Amino acid sequence: MKIPTPVITLIVGVALAASLLFSSMTAVSAKKAALAAASPSAAATAGAVSTAGAVSTAGAAATASAAQPTATGVSATSTLSPSASPSPTPSQGFVVPPHANYVGRVQGDKGSVAIVVHDNFAIAYYCNGSTVEAWLKGTPHHGKLSMTGKGNASLTADYALGHARGTVLVHGVAYIFSIIAVHKPSGLFQSIATVRGATVKAGWIVLADGTQVGSLEPNANAASPSAHAAPKLDISSLTAQDGGTTLVATPIDAETGSGF
Amino acid sequence: MAAQWGPPAPTRQDPVQPAASARLLVVPALVGSLVALTLGIYGRLHSPTGVAVDIVGFSSPATVKAWLATTAVAFALVQLGSSLVMYGKVPGITAPSWIGGLHKWSGRVAFIVTVPVAVHCLYALGFQSFDARVLLHSIAGCLFFGAFTVKMLALTRRGTPGWVLPVVGGLVFTLLVVLWFSSAFWFFSVFGVRH
Repeated sequence: MKIPTPVITLIVGVALAASLLFSSMTAVSAKKAALAAASPSAAATAGAVSTAGAVSTAGAAATASAAQPTATGVSATSTLSPSASPSPTPSQGFVVPPHANYVGRVQGDKGSVAIVVHDNFAIAYYCNGSTVEAWLKGTPHHGKLSMTGKGNASLTADYALGHARGTVLVHGVAYIFSIIAVHKPSGLFQSIATVRGATVKAGWIVLADGTQVGSLEPNANAASPSAHAAPKLDISSLTAQDGGTTLVATPIDAETGSGF
Repeated sequence: MAAQWGPPAPTRQDPVQPAASARLLVVPALVGSLVALTLGIYGRLHSPTGVAVDIVGFSSPATVKAWLATTAVAFALVQLGSSLVMYGKVPGITAPSWIGGLHKWSGRVAFIVTVPVAVHCLYALGFQSFDARVLLHSIAGCLFFGAFTVKMLALTRRGTPGWVLPVVGGLVFTLLVVLWFSSAFWFFSVFGVRH
């Protein structure tokens, strides 16, 4: 019986999806094993899986859409080895998680900082609940972060399972911090809205004890945006009232990748 | 928009086959609905892991997905153009013999590059509804694969009414564009165009 080509297309898609799903599951269980053991050997194994998991999707796509249906399914499966985001790796005796949310106050209680690491991306926010704040972006590298933001803001930190510490430089002032890993509803929240042509960007850091600190940039596209205190964020509805405008906040969350 | 069974107009409008029946679409539509529902229910019930495909040369899974989605939209535009030519809707251009092949292959490539994106979405992120963009994206994502399934299965049915393929194909194309605007376009506009 000859299978119609559109059906072959569907079968190839399902086969590709199944193999990706299977390799993702393998990668995740390897990650969990490494986290449970938290030993250099287990983490090293997971690391090896992650390295082997470098997938050339372009290649796979080209192969998978080749004309021969049976050969296609097989080659798609073999091209796609276990794929994972960076697995926890030991760094100076610490386990470096691929995903983590850290929040806390800086030393001297001059404001709060949040760092969210999601795979190869990190977003950080410093604010004092008033005029001093900065959004920073950067790339994690073996438990080390070097991040930059507008107005020459910068942040360097070491992070590991459970905590992060470092320095953040905003408006020319350096703040030292040692902060902890948190889960929802604590964490970092962001709202970006367009109000009368200007991009209004607000950020809130919700600390482990539930207190929040937030600042709002009325014109976020400026080279060095000014800021003032943000209206209170309602954690249950993730909204805040800024005058007549309702700001809707998005969690910037390491676990779900939301906001990345 | 996806692969085309063949240049459709001549056979479908052949007066010898008067019984063009939309009833032939019942099974494809049911299967497509099942696909969309399965994806949505899986995405809702499965707890997101945050982990899936990692590709060398990109800084994060989000950038990989944004570029794969952009690739899919680029091929989908080829789909739109080639189908307009096949249906003779472009004045002054007669459909060349290779247009069917172009339409089929651009569709296959577009579909295949969406698969890793969808797997990452469903496995690592799940069906989410925490804001309008995310909810729209989640719904459109499930509908896209359902509609694509309907399109593929409809292609195998001879004797469906002439409007079926353009309508279903147009629906698939529209959903893909919605998906792209609610994800890759948003991503590039927030983070800048990056690799």
